[in-house]
Amino acid sequence: MQQALFPIWMILLTVLAFFAMTRLYNRFSYSFFIPVLTATVLIVIILVVLDIPYKSYMIGGHWINSLLEPAVVALAYPLYKQRHFLMTHLFPILGGVLIGAITGMMSVSILAKIFGMSHPLVLSIIPKSITTPVAIEVARGLGGNASIAVISVMIAGIFGVMAAPMIFKFAQVHSPIGRGIGLGSASHAIGTSKAAEYGELAFSMSSVTMTLCAIIGSFLGPFVVWLFQI
Amino acid sequence: MHMKFLIIVLQIGILYIFSFIGKAIQNLFHLMIPGSIIALILLFVCLCLKIIPVKFIEQGAGFLLSILTLFFIPATVGIMNYSSLLSVQGAMLFIVILLSTVITIAIAGRASQFFEKKAKNRKDEQECNKHYSQSG
Repeated sequence: MQQALFPIWMILLTVLAFFAMTRLYNRFSYSFFIPVLTATVLIVIILVVLDIPYKSYMIGGHWINSLLEPAVVALAYPLYKQRHFLMTHLFPILGGVLIGAITGMMSVSILAKIFGMSHPLVLSIIPKSITTPVAIEVARGLGGNASIAVISVMIAGIFGVMAAPMIFKFAQVHSPIGRGIGLGSASHAIGTSKAAEYGELAFSMSSVTMTLCAIIGSFLGPFVVWLFQI
Repeated sequence: MHMKFLIIVLQIGILYIFSFIGKAIQNLFHLMIPGSIIALILLFVCLCLKIIPVKFIEQGAGFLLSILTLFFIPATVGIMNYSSLLSVQGAMLFIVILLSTVITIAIAGRASQFFEKKAKNRKDEQECNKHYSQSG
């Protein structure tokens, strides 16, 4: 009986941790408090205290994880809603997105090689500029680790947003289109919420960029791995 | 209330069917691209060509995207098996990602700004030509 209930407890733990931490975040909205990080820390602490290994947790967790795929498919909906916006700015968006996606993956691969990082680690951080649900899928597809991929996506998001105002100043990126695409292609959803501070245009730019970068990135990932012989 | 719940569940079912088709295509052609991304593109094309009315998926998609974060928590919890990241390796990972992100924001931002100006110049030129041909 207890065995049958165990997965349900794990699902409940995840859902409750998520909603509790989302409430906490909405109250303080401090960027380090993003629910993925706080909920994960809370769950890890509980699992360690109760001496539950990750594998057992995933008996329940994989049910939630399996919703990831339809959620990625669902990204077609906001992209569809923004299709007119996309068509009116097609040239700068496509150009910026292509360069952003290529720069993001190439630079991280080159730097990882210079730093002599281990093979599975590099495969996990290649999709770091892509929105989390797609980054998980891409990392798994490349043979990397999904958890490390999520952590790298979070680092790219949080610290990209913190550094962005300074980068824009030094690189002299003043236009809302440039700022939106810069943030969307390097810092995905977290960057997109920052882009809202630069106005409606920057926000829409960033959100379209985020989805397009995810699509292009999943094609680019295997190519970069082949190119750098990772 | 019950009706709305049922609609959301059915629409998520449609998204599942798409992701299933995407996976089938991936396996059939031995592609490295995730099946869900193939399904995303497929759904986008179907919506644009009005093969699938947006009404059929909007509530389900909206619901999934509103709680998107929840779905990647189980994968993230897996980090508990990687305590080795709390070391030099982790610091290296952090520096590499930070540098790459700074480079990406700068280059993508500059490039987009450049393309934006180009597009604007081209538009102005076209306007000018139109004017010219009309008056001529």
